[in-house]
Parts: sequence; C-alpha cells; structure tokens
Amino acid sequence: MPDFFINGQPVTAAKGQTVMQAAKAAGFFIPTFCWHPSLSVSGNCRICVVEVEGEGGGGSWMEIACNMPVTEGMRVLTDSEAVRARRRETLQFILLNHPVDCGICDKAGECTLQDYHYEMNGLPSVSTVPKVHATKYFELSSRIVLDNERCIVCSRCVRFTREISKSHALGIQNRGDASLVRPVESRDFESDPYSDNVIDICPVGALLSKQFLHKARVWYLKATQSVCPGCSRGCTVDLWHRKAEWKLNALDPRENTAIARVTPRENPDVNGPWICNKGRDLAKIFERPRAEQAMQKGKPVQLGDAIADARRLIRDAKRPAALVSSWGSNEELAAFKAALGDRVECIVKSDWQPQPGERLEDDLLIRADKNPNTRTAQDLFGGEARLVPADSDLVLVWGEGTSFVDLPRGAKVILLGSYLAPENGHAEVFIPVSIQTERAGHYTNFAGVVSRFEPIVRKKDGVAHAEQLFAQLAALTEALA
Amino acid sequence: MSGRKLLMSFPVTPTSHLLAEVRARGGYQTLQRVLTSMTPEQVTKEVTAAGILGHGGAAFPVGRKWSVIHLNDSQPHYLCANADEGEPGTFKDRWILENSPHQLVESMLIAAYALQVRNAFVYIRGEFDLPYRRLQGAVDEAYEAGLLGEKILGTDFSCDLVVYRGAGSYVCGEASALITSIEGKKGYPRNRPPRLTVRGLYQRPTVINNVETLSNIEIIVRMGAEEFRKVGVAKSPGTQLVSISGHVAKPGVYELEYGTPLAKFIYEDCGGVLGGKKLKCIIPGGISTKVLTDADIATVTYDHKAMEAVGSQVGSGGMVVIAEGTCMVRLLQVMLRFYHHESCGQCTPCREGMGWLHRIIDGIVAGRGRPEDIDAMVRISEANDGTTICGMGDAAGFATVGIIAKYRDEFEYYIANGRSKCGGRLEVDVAEQEAAHA
Repeated sequence: MPDFFINGQPVTAAKGQTVMQAAKAAGFFIPTFCWHPSLSVSGNCRICVVEVEGEGGGGSWMEIACNMPVTEGMRVLTDSEAVRARRRETLQFILLNHPVDCGICDKAGECTLQDYHYEMNGLPSVSTVPKVHATKYFELSSRIVLDNERCIVCSRCVRFTREISKSHALGIQNRGDASLVRPVESRDFESDPYSDNVIDICPVGALLSKQFLHKARVWYLKATQSVCPGCSRGCTVDLWHRKAEWKLNALDPRENTAIARVTPRENPDVNGPWICNKGRDLAKIFERPRAEQAMQKGKPVQLGDAIADARRLIRDAKRPAALVSSWGSNEELAAFKAALGDRVECIVKSDWQPQPGERLEDDLLIRADKNPNTRTAQDLFGGEARLVPADSDLVLVWGEGTSFVDLPRGAKVILLGSYLAPENGHAEVFIPVSIQTERAGHYTNFAGVVSRFEPIVRKKDGVAHAEQLFAQLAALTEALA
Repeated sequence: MSGRKLLMSFPVTPTSHLLAEVRARGGYQTLQRVLTSMTPEQVTKEVTAAGILGHGGAAFPVGRKWSVIHLNDSQPHYLCANADEGEPGTFKDRWILENSPHQLVESMLIAAYALQVRNAFVYIRGEFDLPYRRLQGAVDEAYEAGLLGEKILGTDFSCDLVVYRGAGSYVCGEASALITSIEGKKGYPRNRPPRLTVRGLYQRPTVINNVETLSNIEIIVRMGAEEFRKVGVAKSPGTQLVSISGHVAKPGVYELEYGTPLAKFIYEDCGGVLGGKKLKCIIPGGISTKVLTDADIATVTYDHKAMEAVGSQVGSGGMVVIAEGTCMVRLLQVMLRFYHHESCGQCTPCREGMGWLHRIIDGIVAGRGRPEDIDAMVRISEANDGTTICGMGDAAGFATVGIIAKYRDEFEYYIANGRSKCGGRLEVDVAEQEAAHA
C-alpha cells in the first residue's frame, strides 16, 4: 500500500517521516543546503521546495520538503517546472552576496552551491547592486577560518555545536543580510574536540581548515578508505592524497605522498558522519620521521641479516616473551599467533597512552583506549594486564610505547618499530616494519565492528611487512627445531 | 464619532487606569461570574459564537484557534498576549496598555480559564515605556487584590501572568518568533508544521492573541455572543481600534465599528487630509497592506470583506493617510529600508531579498535607476511570496507590488529623469497651504 506519491510513483514512508527523509530513502533527489540527516530541521535555505498537488484537481502549492510530514495519499513533485523556477530564484538570492570566488576557494570541486548552480541555475546574476561585504578571514579557532562573505547562513555549524558536539560555541550575530556566524563569547570553540566537522558539513567554502588552506585543489586528490588508529572507536576515515596522475616531479617528493587531509567517511555502524580533531591530525602520527634501516646493537645492517639474527635469538632463547602491539591489524595479529604464539609468551601492550590535554572519553566518539585494535589482540592473547616474566631471557617488542627499563634485566630485546626513537639503537636487533598507510588490513573496534584500511603509498625496500616477517621467523624456527 | 464603543467606553483621566476606578466601572465582575458560574467549554463556545477575528493583522478566527487546544491532554498550555506592536503606523494596542491595562488582564484571565492555562505571558515591545509601566502596575495591583496568582477570587482557579519585555525586533511580533524570544533564544520564526497551538512555547500547546483581540474577550462574555454580533457586520463582528497617522488633520487612536464607511471616518471623524490637501492614498492597516487610492476609499466600508474586495486588508488597524504631492518612490524607499533593517536573516529569500530591494530603490532615488529595476523589484517581491518561514517576506512583497502597481508612472518618471515626479517630499508643508488659503 503506497503511502504517498513522488512524481507520480508510489512511495512508502515510515510513520513520522518528512517528505525529505522518505524521498531520500526512495532514491529521489531533492537539493539541500541547511538540511543535514544528523541535525535538526532548520528550514532556512528554501532550496528543497517541492510542489504539493491539491487533492481533486485543486491548486498546488510549494512546501519545503525537509519540514513537511508525509500524509497519506499526498502527491509531491520534486522536479516540476514550477519547482525548477523556484529553485532558480532561490539560487539567485543565495548567490546575491556570495563572492563567487571559486577560483581561490578550497571548497571548489566539492561545493554544494557550485554543483547546484551548474545543475539548476547556470545563469549569470540578474543583480546590478553591489554585494554586501563581510569579514573574509575570521579565525574561529586555531584550526578553522571563516569567510563570512561565502557563508550562506544555513546554520549547520551552529546546530552541530549545539546538537552533536554540545559545545554550544557558535551562534549567529546580527540580523538580515548582516548576519554573521561568530563564536559565542562565554563558550570555548577552541577546545571543542569535534570542531573540524563543521568544515565538512559547511555546504559552501565559508569554513575552512587552516591545515588544508590553499594546500591543494580537491580534484588533484584521491580519497582512500582508512581507519583512524587514534582510539578504540576506529572511525572510518578518508585519507586524501595526491592522485598518481597529478604527481609533480617539481614538488618535494614528500608532497606527492603526503596525507593532504583526513575527512570522515560516513559509517553508521561506527562514527556516523563525524570524526574528532585528533583524527584530522593523523598526518602528525603517520608522518613522524621514519626508521628505515635495520640495526644490530645500533649498527646498520641488511634487513635479511637482521631477520636471520632475530630468528637465531628466538631459537636459542630459553624463555622468550613478546609484547604484542595493539596497533597490529587483524591479519598481523593472526599471523603472529600462528607463527610464534606457541613459541613465546605473548602479552598485549598499549602502544599509546592518552596525551596530556587530550579528551579521555565522551559520549560521542572518543574512547579512553587510545589504540585501534586492542580488542583483537586481547581476544587472541588474553586480556589480563601482565608484566614480562622476570626470568625471560629474550623479549620481542612489537610497536611503540615500551621503555626498556621496564623489561627484565639482562633480557635481550628484538624491537620491531616504524619510527625513529632512541630505543632503536639499544635493541639487540631492530627491524623496521611498515605503517598503516603502507599496507592493507582490518581493525576491530571496541564494539567488535571490523573496518578495512587501504594503503596509500608503497613501503620502502628496507622495511618489512610485519605479517610476512612473522611467517619468516616462524618458518625458520620450525625448520631448525 | 462612528458607531458604538466597546473598548473606549469610559472617559480617560489620569487615574482611570487604576484598579479602584476600574472596579467602580464594573471591572472584574465578568471574571467573577465566569469563575463561579461558567465552565471553560462554555467560555470557548461563547467566544466561537461571537465570531471575533484576530485584530493583530491576519484576521484569523479566534474560536478556531482556541478550539485546537484539548483541555484534558494532561499537559500544560500557555497563553500569550502579543503586545509587540511593531507594525509601522500601528499604535492601537498602546492605547489599551496605557489606558485600560486591567481590561487586558481580566480578559486574559478569562481566556486562561477557558484554555486551562496556569502561566500566561504578555510579550511587550521593549520600546514601550509608559505602556509597560502601566501594564506592570496593573499586574501588581491585580496580584495584591488576589486577582492573579493562587486561588483567584477564592475559587480553585490559579493563574500567573508574566510581563516579558522584548528587545526591539519587528519579527518578534510574529507569534513563533515571539515565543522563541520568550524562551530566551534569538527571535527567529519557526517553521510550520507544527502549529503553535500544537507545539508552541516550551514545546507545549500555546495560544497567542493580539492585545486588542484578548481585550475583547471580557466584552464578549459580558455582552454574550448574540449581543456582541449586533455590533459591526455579520462577517466582522465588533469594533476595531484604528490608529491613524500621516497627513491627517486629527491623528490618533479611534474605535471604529466594523461596517463604517471609510470615507466618512477619514473626512468627518479625523478631519480629512492635513492642510486641506487632496487625498492621494491610504495605507489601511500597517505598511504591509496594499494601498487604497481615493477612488477605492469613496465607496468602501471598513470591514474585512469589503476591504478584501478592493484588494487590501483591515490588517493591524494602523492607517496612514498620504496626501497629494507625496513621492511614492521615496515612500517605498522608507518602507524598504525598514524591512531591510528588520529582516531577521534566518531564511534566504527575505535575508537577501530585503537588502536587494532596498539597494535597488536607493539607486533609483539617487538617480542611478535603470528601467529594468521596476521589474526586478516585482520579481524579487514575487520570489518572496509564500517562500519564507514567516509572513514578513510576503508582507514586504505585497507592499512593494501594491505601490508599484498603482504608481508605476512615478517610478518610471524618477528613473527617466533622475528626480521625483512630485517634488520628492514625504511631508506636507502646512504653512504653505495655510498661506495659500489665507
């Protein structure tokens, strides 16, 4: 039984749904600026007008789809001539005081206003009056700049801070065409750990990331799915990096492989459409100076020699133990279990501890465990917190965050690490291993949801993939036994 | 004077607004009778039968608004008097607030009883000083006399009345913006649905009526619906307080029975146009209503049906008389400056459209007009018609289209010649007129 009709086609709607929700669910396109599925209805942009046909041949009228509850038998047109004309008028209004400076705007290429203008209006402005000028560069926080001329006052960012991040830190000042989004004086936008989401939900280029400001045109970039390792929530993210065909030899080679920005990839099972600011700063984690040279007691050696040495140490050890990384992927952890699980005593360690000033935990996304895959590691190797047995004569340390002082005195250390650190030279054997951006894999978050990440760059030759490394070590230990 | 008086039924003296004198005139006797001998349903029935229309501008039937409230839905209801009288040229509620505040308090109590309201509000415009002091004084007196608060007049009915002062926004006179403002938020109108009688103040069913509308409630209950309907005409029972200003000999607030010939009111009661000039047009009920020319006025009677027949409205009763020789381009400029300044900026068509209209007409007045500007203004007005959250976009559009339709030649002349067809003045030079007569 159809509930109502869109463009003559029967559509079933759930109770209490608006025309917008039912239409989106049924695959009909209705343009939106201010409406966002995760935020309350504001109904201020007026671009989502649809035509509602009166019953029994009565006249039709315009309603905004986002605020119109579905009623039985209602007949809605989303693309009639009248609707198209109304949208053209609305776009004329929206563009009236918009600077149309797409050429220097970071949002160009992924801007809702730009898309709609090409799709629905395409006409030059009919206005002959001068545009209203406003602040071009207003620092909302140390991370975000606001261009008030580009702002179309859709209030998405304001509603985000009120309804999602709960910082209540943004508001709209003044009225009429002098309306300005501004921070609320008594609130602190700077310390809102979710503030950068307003950049993504801004339908125009009004809110811009300072990190990404004028760094790249978005059409030079490619988004690769990844998982944020910042905490055990494991938010699905997109890592944006330069497309292969747009690599420039003239650039610093690091620019060609760098993470240009991180945005959330919508995943209703994990993070919805949001991520926290720490997730935006993944480059700070992944682009630390890398350790790319295998070492024996601080002396550079070939990777093969280091592996052979490590394998001999494991074979000869009387009571070997291992600190297993909670940053390993499901595949790596399984490989470790299969290869060395019986040979060494395995203890799960926390690679990362909460940093000073970092929000520990909240109701939205952030979790107190700052490691991405503690769940799988504990499922495989036991969850109880243990010390390395005092009589261990060899400790295999995989990943960061272990001080050698905490290890048994006299035990030899094999260290698998990815970043430059003083400990690397103190280990008996140091083997560099690849990081998340150099390999594919899966993490299981605290709630048991498995998410996949893809590589964005190739690993260097002198660096090992941990998954294969464990198999090599295992094959050899068995062969020698 | 034209017709019977309901609200202006007593001589105004420096003390006529005080409780002692109000009681001597029979004040609060209707409340006593309602609380002791009528049920809430009977009151609502009486008001519905009286057929009174809202006096704030939209002329919505009061009975129909009240009947949406379910008395036994076990949730609080709110009643709110809209005293944010911001429509330019309208100052009739001010007369009630200054001279008859107890009429409003008593009527609100009767309405609160009919709608089972425990907490009632008056949202009064911030610029009102004497009206606020008079109303707050009346509320204080009523509390002291046991007419407000717990167990009013010894009955089981309790009601509190809070006077809330606005901060000077025109849009806050719109019902949903008004309650948003009472809630302590920025005065943005809300989208309908839901209607305010379903989910209004603090998300509860709320009835919001104009001050004059509410003040009539006591009169309806006192007279009875049948008697009340004998005042005025069938479709518009009762009277309207009309605040008349502009180029008129005797400006002020007049009580006008519906059905009075408009020409008689203007020329006889108000003494005609200032300085004996000819009438050019009138704005009949707040600047958002379409103007009426001399020819329209000659035959029309002052009631909702007749005014709509000539293409305008009774509106808020804020009448502005415009004499011959007034520049309509300049007049529209003044009006658009107001709309631009008062647009709340929430929804796109009004936020951008008001500024656009204002800048276009500023250009015309400054001599930079282009012939296509007139059509651009009509186009912007039409794009605002019915597309905004509240009625302000439509209102500005009506005013613009109304003036351009009737005085297009003045706009064309101004654009072609860079100066006004009628001297570019808004004021009438009375001295010059008197010298000519002498």
